[in-house]
Amino acid sequence: MHIPDSFIPLSQAVIYWVVALPFIIMSMKWAKNELDEMKVPILAALAAGIFAIQAMNIPIGMGTSGHMVGAALVAIIFGSPWAGVLVLTLVLLVQGFAFGDGGVTTMGANILNMGVISGFVGYYTYVALRSKAGTSIAAFGGAWLGLFISAIACAIEMWIAGTFPLRAGLIAMGTYHLIIGFIGEGLITSIVITAIAKSRPDLLEDNYTARPEKHKKEAHA
Amino acid sequence: MSRKSNMKFLYVGIAIAILLAVLAPFLASSDPDGLESAAGGVVEESKMSKIEKTEPVVGSPMPDYSIEGLGKGGEVAAIAVGTLAVLAISLGLGKVFSKKN
Repeated sequence: MHIPDSFIPLSQAVIYWVVALPFIIMSMKWAKNELDEMKVPILAALAAGIFAIQAMNIPIGMGTSGHMVGAALVAIIFGSPWAGVLVLTLVLLVQGFAFGDGGVTTMGANILNMGVISGFVGYYTYVALRSKAGTSIAAFGGAWLGLFISAIACAIEMWIAGTFPLRAGLIAMGTYHLIIGFIGEGLITSIVITAIAKSRPDLLEDNYTARPEKHKKEAHA
Repeated sequence: MSRKSNMKFLYVGIAIAILLAVLAPFLASSDPDGLESAAGGVVEESKMSKIEKTEPVVGSPMPDYSIEGLGKGGEVAAIAVGTLAVLAISLGLGKVFSKKN
C-alpha cells in the first residue's frame, strides 16, 4: 500500500504531510513519556521484525500480493496506538529513503494510512472486542479492520488525487485488502499476540486492555 | 518484567527478522501489491504509462530492495541492511528518549 510519488500531486502530498505531522509529534511524546530501558528492546525488535516482514509479499491470488503493516500489532503490545504510529514512521522513513518503497513526497500519506489509520482502527477495534471475543479473535479482528480501513482511505486519497476513479478504485482496493488483511495482517497479528499472551503475558500485563481491573484499582487508589 | 528477558525478546526478534530477510527474496510474491494491482486495473492506459515513466522525487541507494548486479544475494543483503538500520534507529531513539529521570 506504499504510495509512490507519482500517484499524488505535490500540493496534495504536502497536505498529507501536514496532517501526519501532529501524529508523528504525538508518537514522539508517547516515546518520551513511556519508553524506558525495559521497553526499548521490545520496540526495537518489533520495528526490525516489521521491516523484514514487510519485504515478504504474500501471494493472494488474482495476480496480486500483499504484506503485513504491523501498526495494530505494535499498538496492542504497548497498549497505545501511538506506539504503532512511531514504529511505522521509522519503518516508512527507511523504506522511502533507502529503498524507494513509497515516495518521499507521499510519505506523509503513507504514515497517515499505515501508521495512524491502521494503528488507531486496529487498536480500538481490539479494545472493543477483547472482553467479548477474547485476545486472539480481537487481535485478528482489529488488525484486519485496521488494514481494510486504511486501504479504503488510500482509495479515497487516490480519487482526490485524480489518479483512481472513485467506485472502481474503492472496489479494487477494498477487495484486494480484504484478503490481504485476512492473511497478511489478521492471522499474523493474532498468532503473535496469542503467542505473547502465552509465553510473555507480562508484556501485555501493563496494558489497560489486557488487565483493565488492575488499572481501575490503581486509578481509584 | 525483567530486563534480561526483554533482551531475550530483542535477540529472538533480531533472529526472526534476519531469517525473514534471508527468505524474503526467495519466498516473496513477485506479483504487484494491492495498490499497484488496483492501479493497473482502474487507471486508463495513457495515464498509467505516464505514471510509470515518472521517476521518484528522491533517488534511493537500493531501489526495490536490491543491489544492482548482485541478484538474490543482493536482495538478501539489502533487506538485512534495512532491518539493521531500523534496529539501530529504534535503539538510538530509545536511548535518547529513555534518558529521562
